[in-house]
Amino acid sequence: MNIALEHKNKKPPRFQKRKWLPYLLVSPYIIFVVVFVLFPVIFSFILTFHKWNIIAPMKFIGVDNYIRLFHDRLFWISILNTLKFLLLHIPLQLAVALFLAVLLNQKIKAVSFFRASFFMPVIVSGVVVTILWQQLLGYDSGIINRFVTAVGLSKVGWLVNPDVAIYSIAVMATWKNVGLYVILFLVGLQTVPTQYYEAAKMEGATRWQQFYHITLPMINPTIFMVVILSTIGGFSLFIEPYIMTGGGPLNKTLSAVLYIYKQAFQYYNMGYSATLGFFYALMIMLVVVVQKRVIEKEV
Amino acid sequence: MACNPFIKKIRSHIFLSLVIISCTHHTNNNKEILFWCSNNKDEITLATNATKAWNILQTRSPVHMQPIPEGQSSEEVILAAVVGKTTPDIYANMWQGSVEMYARANVLIPLDTLKGFMDFMYERCDSNVIKEITSSDGHIYQVPWKANPIMTIYNKSLFAENNIADVPKTYSAYSKAAQIFKNNNKNSEPIKHFGYTAVKVIWYERLFNFYTLYLAASNGAPLVINNKAAFNNKYAIEVFRFLQSLYSNEYFSRENSAASSDPFVTQTIATEWTGPWEISYLNRIPNRHFDFDYSVPPVPDDHVGPVYTYADPKNMVIFNTCKQPQAAWEFIKTMIDKNGDMQLLQISGQLPRRKNLDTDPFYKSFFEKNPMLLPFAKQIPFVKGIDNCESIVEVLDIISQEYEASVVYGKKTPEKAIEDAEKAVNVLLAANK
Amino acid sequence: MYAALTVAALSFIYPFIWMIGASLSPEHEIGNMTLFPKHPTLGNFQSMFEKIPIARALFNSLFVAIFSTLLVMLTGSMVGYALAKMKFKGRQLIFFVIVFTMSLPFQVTLIPNYITMVNLRWVDTFLALIVPFSVSAFAILMFRQAFQGLPQALIDAARLDGCNELQIVFKILWPNIKPTLVTIAILTFIGCWNEVLWPLIVIRDEKLMTMPQLVTLFSVGGRADSQLGVKIAAAVLLALPVMIAFLFLQKHFIQSMASTGMKD
Repeated sequence: MNIALEHKNKKPPRFQKRKWLPYLLVSPYIIFVVVFVLFPVIFSFILTFHKWNIIAPMKFIGVDNYIRLFHDRLFWISILNTLKFLLLHIPLQLAVALFLAVLLNQKIKAVSFFRASFFMPVIVSGVVVTILWQQLLGYDSGIINRFVTAVGLSKVGWLVNPDVAIYSIAVMATWKNVGLYVILFLVGLQTVPTQYYEAAKMEGATRWQQFYHITLPMINPTIFMVVILSTIGGFSLFIEPYIMTGGGPLNKTLSAVLYIYKQAFQYYNMGYSATLGFFYALMIMLVVVVQKRVIEKEV
Repeated sequence: MACNPFIKKIRSHIFLSLVIISCTHHTNNNKEILFWCSNNKDEITLATNATKAWNILQTRSPVHMQPIPEGQSSEEVILAAVVGKTTPDIYANMWQGSVEMYARANVLIPLDTLKGFMDFMYERCDSNVIKEITSSDGHIYQVPWKANPIMTIYNKSLFAENNIADVPKTYSAYSKAAQIFKNNNKNSEPIKHFGYTAVKVIWYERLFNFYTLYLAASNGAPLVINNKAAFNNKYAIEVFRFLQSLYSNEYFSRENSAASSDPFVTQTIATEWTGPWEISYLNRIPNRHFDFDYSVPPVPDDHVGPVYTYADPKNMVIFNTCKQPQAAWEFIKTMIDKNGDMQLLQISGQLPRRKNLDTDPFYKSFFEKNPMLLPFAKQIPFVKGIDNCESIVEVLDIISQEYEASVVYGKKTPEKAIEDAEKAVNVLLAANK
Repeated sequence: MYAALTVAALSFIYPFIWMIGASLSPEHEIGNMTLFPKHPTLGNFQSMFEKIPIARALFNSLFVAIFSTLLVMLTGSMVGYALAKMKFKGRQLIFFVIVFTMSLPFQVTLIPNYITMVNLRWVDTFLALIVPFSVSAFAILMFRQAFQGLPQALIDAARLDGCNELQIVFKILWPNIKPTLVTIAILTFIGCWNEVLWPLIVIRDEKLMTMPQLVTLFSVGGRADSQLGVKIAAAVLLALPVMIAFLFLQKHFIQSMASTGMKD
């Protein structure tokens, strides 16, 4: 049903013979993967059975790192935090991006201005964004709390309240990235032929019905990509808590990647850090595969 | 023990083929001594001067100076250099706590084996400093260079406005002053707090609050003895209780102030714990409308004896990639002899870790011209660095975790928090043996 | 509808205007949160320019980012094309590997990759900044998706005209996916531009440093003397070139976007 996904493969016979051709085309990627991914991954995998502080020789310790992982309370807390983050981040990102993209896709003026403004946070460095948001989320003199008190409510500890901090960071990360997904959705929306809508209008479909029965199914590949990308992006949450909270308050913003980073570059437990990294990467894979299945089934 | 042969094989295979492809060559002048200094402006000037002076006199082993390309943390950069065997010959500004790890990994030169080193050390340093920097294997891998004693800085003008006559030197006096300050500034906009100290759960931040106060309360007790936690004592518990009361009474803010304007400069706080570097920094600020001064950190009410504090020691090391360690040491000597230490004082306003600094006639005129630094010089005999423990960073991080739960958020009693930290540290140290 | 859009746009733009205002303010006015400084000053920028060789860093950054972007476009479209329009053994595997590489925390590969750089003797060369960024999993996925959307007939026709596969990709298919090209180019360029941690590790020679690296060194490291105004000025300097480049490219963005969707 989708033009993007399937096509009938009726090539002239001449091209079927050249079996090496696709491999030639993907060869840059293969070389790249071998040098910059496969080698590091094998290296790290071997590391998971060792104790290594980078500068002294490695020491083989069997599966001690894996045993430690399952008993490491902080690691599981960091996973939980990351999941909490995703729980708000992904739906919010999807909803806001789709909403803004649909608005932009109407025949309106100043599209370029709006699109540019949404995209602004995407292009600036994460360091800049975190410096800015610290000004916004401050407790005593932050801009948001000034609005809050002006309306007569009491201040919110956006980053100091342990129950709130991770969600503040989720909102901030959404703010930073949503522009990218607005653009992706816009590209997707513009592939939907306008005749479909015209036909639906003639049959008296409401806007919501049009959206639900035409738009959503048509942009399904884009939704899939957005979900996958923001899942992966969300799982690699690092720089925001690293700069803003250092993982606090009470470890409630300690993301998994931040914890892996700490093990590697603060404690120099390279072997253990590699073990965490490995385990974590496999977990992400699993989630992505499940997501893929679920989304493909829904269509 | 040794590097896994399998990895070595893979590595050499991949690299052999890749090295052939690459054709860039490293040109390295073997005679040159590469010297990395810290990358703040004053220390670059200091290092440039020292290098120039050396290179005029010494043509055989010229020194090439470069500020360390340090960003979020110099650790990553040093680590990367160690891995790549591209370490400089001399690195000035290594935190004392990091030295033990590098020493154990055999990447540092044992300086006590160099000609003239020990004699020079005995002349410059107190015996307790030499004891402090001696590694667990009996060698010395670092030159004690700078000490920046951490003290209470306070805003004299704010104190006067609030009728706080004396600088509080004990916990109860401190709390009393804080209460007065809070009452007087209830409706201030922006909100004023009596003091601020970092809340971020990162190990090094504990050096400037918990550890400083712990040394002050305990007359310089260690955190770790014989590979076991040694801090489950009344001093640590008292420090936690005191700091906890500062947060529960809202004398201090729980906010991370890293990205806002310096609250001491904007006068939204009246005190903090910091080093002498603040003097030249504050004096550089145009239109500063307040006076400030320093005092020793607060101690428990029943404290006796001198008040110790944390030295924030930054030391020099020679890496074992150095081809001429003796020449490197001779160069270092020019930076830490009487004249070199004077340069450090004059250019950077930081203090050399040298004995009799406050009484030595050689430095008398300097301290007459810079009276604010004199209390720091007087403090030098009563400062401590950090224990020589390979896992000290993790130890401080464990304390950090408990600190946040107990001190900042009041979720645990000080007793319980210190006890939990002790347990966790002992587990860690036993595992790392 | 316009109201919703305007509110959204404001919430995205306001912080940046504030940032620029703050960078032009003297230190004691920054806390005021007003958009326009009462006593504007260039002091923050001045003290920064005095301390670091920013022009050289700008050139380095441009060189590295442009070069990497070109390579990413080249490799991305080749691989993406093969994945989208060719059937071969291992296609699913490669797709899987791509998703895997995207989900790999960078900490896993950081140290081994650094060791590779050392062994290749690429430390302190531009090669270390360009080659590891010459292939992008994200770009491959984007190209794959874009090529999938094109009709097979286009390719078959080109083949009958005697085009080889590279000609098909670059001469026939590229003109049909302009918006994707621009999107990938912008995103890759920005990604390279904003990369900080990697340059920090592989480049130590101040002459070869990239601008974000130098600015980060300056604002987070010791040289800014912990003054917020100077830090924000550094942040502005870091953001400005990308923002200007984006505003400039925005035109192309719209044109190419408007020209698609009509084709099928």
